Amino acid sequence: MLFKLSITGLKGKLKDYIVLLVGLVLSISIFYMFQTLASNKEFLEANATIKSIGYVFQVGSFLLAIITFFYVFYANSFLMSLRQKEFGMYMLLGAKKYKVAFIMFIETILIGVTSLAIGIASGIGLSQGIGHLLMKQLNFTASGYRALYVPSITVTCIFFVGLFILSALLNSMKLARMTVLELVYGNTYADSSVIKGKMTGIIAFISIILLGIGYASMIFMDVLKEAGITIAMLSTTAGTYLFFESVFPLFVKKLKENKTHNEKGINAFTFAQLKFRINGLTKVLATVAMLIALGAGAISGGMAFKNNVIKSADKFEIYDTVIYNPTAEEMKILNDIPFKDKNEYRYKADDQYIYYLKAELEKNRPFIYVENGGKYTGKLKRVSEDLPLGAVSNDGQEMDKNTKVIPDEWVTALRRIQPSYLDYLDKTIKIVDIKMYNELQGKEGLVFIGKTDDFAAHTQEWKKLDELQLEKYKHIDADDMLSKYKIYNEFYTVSSGTVFMGFFLGIAFLAMMASCLMFKILSGATADKTRYDMLRKIGVRHELLTKSIYKEFFLIFLCPAIVGIAHVLIGMNIFGLIVIDPYFRIWLPICIFLVIYTIYYMITVQLYKGIVLPKIR
Amino acid sequence: MKRSVIIVKNIQKVYGEKRGNPSHALKGISFSMDEGEFVGVMGPSGSGKTTLLNVISTLDHATDGLVEIAGTNITKMRQSELADFRSKKLGFIFQDFNLLENLSIYENIALPLSLQGVSSNKIGTKVEKVTKMLRISDILSKYPSEVSGGQKQRAAAARAIVHDPAIILADEPTGALDSKNAASLLETVANLNEEQGTSILMVTHDAYSASYCKRILFIQDGELYKEIHRIQMPRHVFYKEILGVLAELGTKKR
Repeated sequence: MLFKLSITGLKGKLKDYIVLLVGLVLSISIFYMFQTLASNKEFLEANATIKSIGYVFQVGSFLLAIITFFYVFYANSFLMSLRQKEFGMYMLLGAKKYKVAFIMFIETILIGVTSLAIGIASGIGLSQGIGHLLMKQLNFTASGYRALYVPSITVTCIFFVGLFILSALLNSMKLARMTVLELVYGNTYADSSVIKGKMTGIIAFISIILLGIGYASMIFMDVLKEAGITIAMLSTTAGTYLFFESVFPLFVKKLKENKTHNEKGINAFTFAQLKFRINGLTKVLATVAMLIALGAGAISGGMAFKNNVIKSADKFEIYDTVIYNPTAEEMKILNDIPFKDKNEYRYKADDQYIYYLKAELEKNRPFIYVENGGKYTGKLKRVSEDLPLGAVSNDGQEMDKNTKVIPDEWVTALRRIQPSYLDYLDKTIKIVDIKMYNELQGKEGLVFIGKTDDFAAHTQEWKKLDELQLEKYKHIDADDMLSKYKIYNEFYTVSSGTVFMGFFLGIAFLAMMASCLMFKILSGATADKTRYDMLRKIGVRHELLTKSIYKEFFLIFLCPAIVGIAHVLIGMNIFGLIVIDPYFRIWLPICIFLVIYTIYYMITVQLYKGIVLPKIR
Repeated sequence: MKRSVIIVKNIQKVYGEKRGNPSHALKGISFSMDEGEFVGVMGPSGSGKTTLLNVISTLDHATDGLVEIAGTNITKMRQSELADFRSKKLGFIFQDFNLLENLSIYENIALPLSLQGVSSNKIGTKVEKVTKMLRISDILSKYPSEVSGGQKQRAAAARAIVHDPAIILADEPTGALDSKNAASLLETVANLNEEQGTSILMVTHDAYSASYCKRILFIQDGELYKEIHRIQMPRHVFYKEILGVLAELGTKKR
């Protein structure tokens, strides 16, 4: 009979249960998605540029497990709050406590199993969809990647069944400990902060120290290596949770203590709303901050690897294209490319030398790298040295005392504009003036060099040019043609596995973050409805209520975003071990994240408004 | 002559008109109320008294007719104007208190003033004054869940009068209180009326509560049935008269 009753009760709160189920399903599918990468060793080894990628994924699994643990735990206490009044009523009518506790247990397990089944199914679907989408976007085939991967299913099942049994036990224990009255009059009390008075200050202090240790170990990653990752992960995570547990309540308290500000308009209510559910919020906000850090971090990491391809290609070749004696067809392509810097140099070649014109070279000085104590800096400069007339390059041949030698910078620059695969150009260079040049007998040629702002934007053109080159020089093997495009392509192939992982995980983490915060806010919305109704009755304008909601959520969304982004900005140091410049174009993933986050903020506010505010006639 | 604080002319309220099965909650009620009056509205369940109060309190729209409060015609106002009107001219006391449980008692009482942009200092003096009058000065820092029902209703009453509204609208204010607390609250409300000259319109089905009023309107089936005045009459005599009318209402119904 009691079971029948509880099923009826369940139907009555279908909407809340759907919110709960969707939240759980999302977290399970995301966990599964992560596992399709993490537990697939074959894929990881075949596709990652980083040797210790397995270790990184172990650390990631651990972090995700902590976050999921909090999430599931919270979801189940929400389930409990949904039911406690009803269960209290049953007890009031004479149902035995152990029986009610048992129903609670069964219900938690049932919800868990249902969401596990749906979650794994949708996880497979999501992995398939996102995986293929990314592969298509990145123009890459992830060998060994499988959306339906049995070991991942096993890991997910074991993990979640464990979690659900644990939280089912906790739920029924909690229920058994509460008195009937507490159950019936459950959720009308304001949460008071768990940590009170002086303790809050101490905890805040500890949290900042922990964050400091975590940040320091990320900044000094090159000294600490793998130990640094472990220290950073543990102390940053712990620091973040403690930070939100202590500093956030302190912040809200300070907001409320400012009397003039608090008593302005509806602020008292806005801040009270915040304060009222601060306890539930702190853990969720810490979780959200961590997910933002992981998600935005993974995407930034992915982008860093993507940018690294360009950086590495740039390290090998300054000019995007170097073409000898361009044909009409080649010129046509070259003319369509917006070069930032392009030059043409004439040359003549005979059996012994290749001759360049002093005037032409000095007028349009080519780029070379700025080196700092022999170290690559990534910066460019134009050759500044003088170019003596009649100088030759020192290629190890015997030199006359009187022979002038081309200075080093010029040699480097000139070698750069001579592709190594055109071996007939591999001769000693000699610098001549126009008069001497005109008297020379050798065949005249022209070299075109060009550099754009964005190499990656014109890959189609570079590819075409390479093909034309191959047609032109029949004797060259495609593998030997080391054009910048070719180098770029090789780097790209190697790193795209890592880029794929970064984007894949980034999307997964951000989706989880979204579901986490949305779930928390919407699950409390029904209870907030009465409060907004009261305010409306005593004459608060609709616009003012809307403003209050925007403001409240702004504060809720702002804090984890700040913490999360700080984590990302510091955490990018980790990639400094592998990538040339992890901070290159870091604003791009951060902006992408901010746009997504803002959209998501607006959606949450709209959904919440739909629940708590009556529609205007 | 005293000014009218409420003028209601021939108001109608029809529910479910669109679905083709209309039910008339109010069938053309007219009455007026002067400044400083304490008027009760009585009637059996379903007689339309709450609908009447909702229309007067601008929470609901009348289908037809005119409602004027403190000289303002509210039937033609837009939602946001109505909200402003409520926050300035009306004070509410509800059966279930309607205090915001996430605000302290002080903040609850201060809210109507905060909404009107009154400075923090003035709010302090004002709240102090009304809470002293209602004898709840010592619970200001507490939250609604920490005080008794009687104290909650006093707090609600304080919130209703703190911004000097033109009229206080009370909907079964003693409904959730025990008899001792109810009596104490009614004394307070009656005092407000007598000493401060506050206009009060109270809806109740309880004859004892109604006996504190100076005039009572009886409503049945959406129409004004009878009106009685308490002139130079002790309360217990008026109470008997009310019971008489209620009995009359009951028999007529059968």
